Amino acid sequence: MSEERKEKKEFFHAVELDREKCVGCTKCVRVCPTEAIRVRNGKAKIDSSRCIDCSQCVKVCPVNALYIKSDPLSDIFKFKYRLAVISASYESQFSEEIGYERALKALLHLGFDEIAEQAMITDVTADIIRDYIRNHPQIRPVLSSNCPAIVRLVQVRFPSLVKNLLHIESPMSMLAKYYRDKISKEKGLKEDEIGIFLIVPSSSQITAVHQPEGTYKHLHDGAIAISDIYSQVMDIQKKLCDDDTQISSYANGLSWAISGMEAEEVAADDIETLAVSGIHNVIDILSNIESHRLDQYDYIELKNCQLGCVGGELNVENPFVAASRIKKIVKKTRRKEIDNDYFFRLYKEGYFDVEPLEPRSIMELDKDIRSALAKMKKVKEIEKKLPGLDCGVCGSPTCRALAEDIVQGQSKIDDCLVRLRRIKKNKEE
Amino acid sequence: MGSEAAKSDNYAEYWACSPALESRGKVLVTNPPEPEMQLDFTIEAKDYIKTGRASSEIKLFLKKLGVNPDVLRRVAVACYEAEINVTAHSNGGTVQALIYQDYILAIFEDKGPGIEDIEQAMIPGFSTADELAREMGFGAGLGLPNIKKNSDLLYIKSAVGINTYLAVIILFEDKQDV
Repeated sequence: MSEERKEKKEFFHAVELDREKCVGCTKCVRVCPTEAIRVRNGKAKIDSSRCIDCSQCVKVCPVNALYIKSDPLSDIFKFKYRLAVISASYESQFSEEIGYERALKALLHLGFDEIAEQAMITDVTADIIRDYIRNHPQIRPVLSSNCPAIVRLVQVRFPSLVKNLLHIESPMSMLAKYYRDKISKEKGLKEDEIGIFLIVPSSSQITAVHQPEGTYKHLHDGAIAISDIYSQVMDIQKKLCDDDTQISSYANGLSWAISGMEAEEVAADDIETLAVSGIHNVIDILSNIESHRLDQYDYIELKNCQLGCVGGELNVENPFVAASRIKKIVKKTRRKEIDNDYFFRLYKEGYFDVEPLEPRSIMELDKDIRSALAKMKKVKEIEKKLPGLDCGVCGSPTCRALAEDIVQGQSKIDDCLVRLRRIKKNKEE
Repeated sequence: MGSEAAKSDNYAEYWACSPALESRGKVLVTNPPEPEMQLDFTIEAKDYIKTGRASSEIKLFLKKLGVNPDVLRRVAVACYEAEINVTAHSNGGTVQALIYQDYILAIFEDKGPGIEDIEQAMIPGFSTADELAREMGFGAGLGLPNIKKNSDLLYIKSAVGINTYLAVIILFEDKQDV
């Protein structure tokens, strides 16, 4: 990540706000799952420590003031050797006529020297997850950690479950790590001569590339949105109709772009699994896990986007169409193997270990329980005076949140227009 | 956790208490001091859709206070199990969550029909749950044992044909006297 970006704020976010465009409509305020957004003085403001880059706000913004900042393709040319690590949802963006292999080849024509696919290592990832689950019998359920928005959601809203997150690099990070060493050895290149870029379907993956959680080493050099290169790929592929050079592809692993397939593959006689997708469904499930109501599951796959990565907001294709394409590709293509044993050995040697993840406690009103209680009393008092409509017009997501904002000195009670109107009406009568 | 049970003609009582609360636990329940804050909820009988909301609200409240996450999970389990008990086994009732600086006292009071034999109900696996409750995935006979396991104090007073009163205390700091 660029130094300039780093200095500006403590937390990096792919989701950004264009204040000029913002009309202060409060739609984003109400959909944010971590209550990270407020509208103040007619403009939205994102609390950097609460934002998890789930992009719910981007989806509802009517004027495109909220947008996702990904890295430009031109960044790859800063490097001598360029590797694209592609998300399994990439192939699902192209119709059957174009085909999986042509879509991959197009990336080479965009300027990449080599391609690695998330789909290459899904089998061994499942082995690794099973091994991790069996070696951590005290942690149930183990929660998937390959969706960065989910990792951040747990850190922000469910601090007691941070230790349940699978503490192993995500498949795309494993690939990046493995390939940097491999390319450096095979091509005799210095590590910083190799540019590793993820081709991703969601904003939180961009955030994770620039500000990874738990990783010991910076693994990637950038993240490019699928939607940003889509039209270029479409142009290039037309010229590739007669290109019959062979390219390795790993179709069987593509299914992990669909929610539930990972859980299915990890499941075993001794491992019960569950899969949940869509941020609000995930929040419900995490709340149940927190109350120990789902201890019977050994592994729970959690995905921010409905339907899984095919539902990512940086995809071009409709998620349901994309999912059906993937199922077709997987059925048609023969399985190709990579050296799973070698990957598993690396895992066993600790090559993919991550640092213990830390909660980001933003829920409490005060660091000290006594002060928090005093504040809570005030919150309840103020809440009684508010209409309880949760209309969001004040710029806070709910009446309760407004009461908290008032107590924290960030709003005033007159921000509630409904209350003012009612007082005025009472006076008139 | 030490426990004792007592029976009279009219009602039965059950106490279980961690060493941290041995000296003062009973007083805190039978004659509770003025709480810092109080949350009140009603629980409808057999409403398996809405049940769990009171314990969720209590959990959220304690999160805002910054209560230790592991303690929070214990409160969540104890309150949820108690709430389910009221839903599944009683004719409905209420929850009062009394919040103090160092602990929470949650009181579940229902409108009957009362527990026949409390000591039996405390045995893991013992259940009187009806078919509906079992279909909903409850009734494994772990409710009361789970409440006991997760609380620093559990008090049950029940009169057959009348009602059940269940109180739990959970300390915000582990193993510290109030």
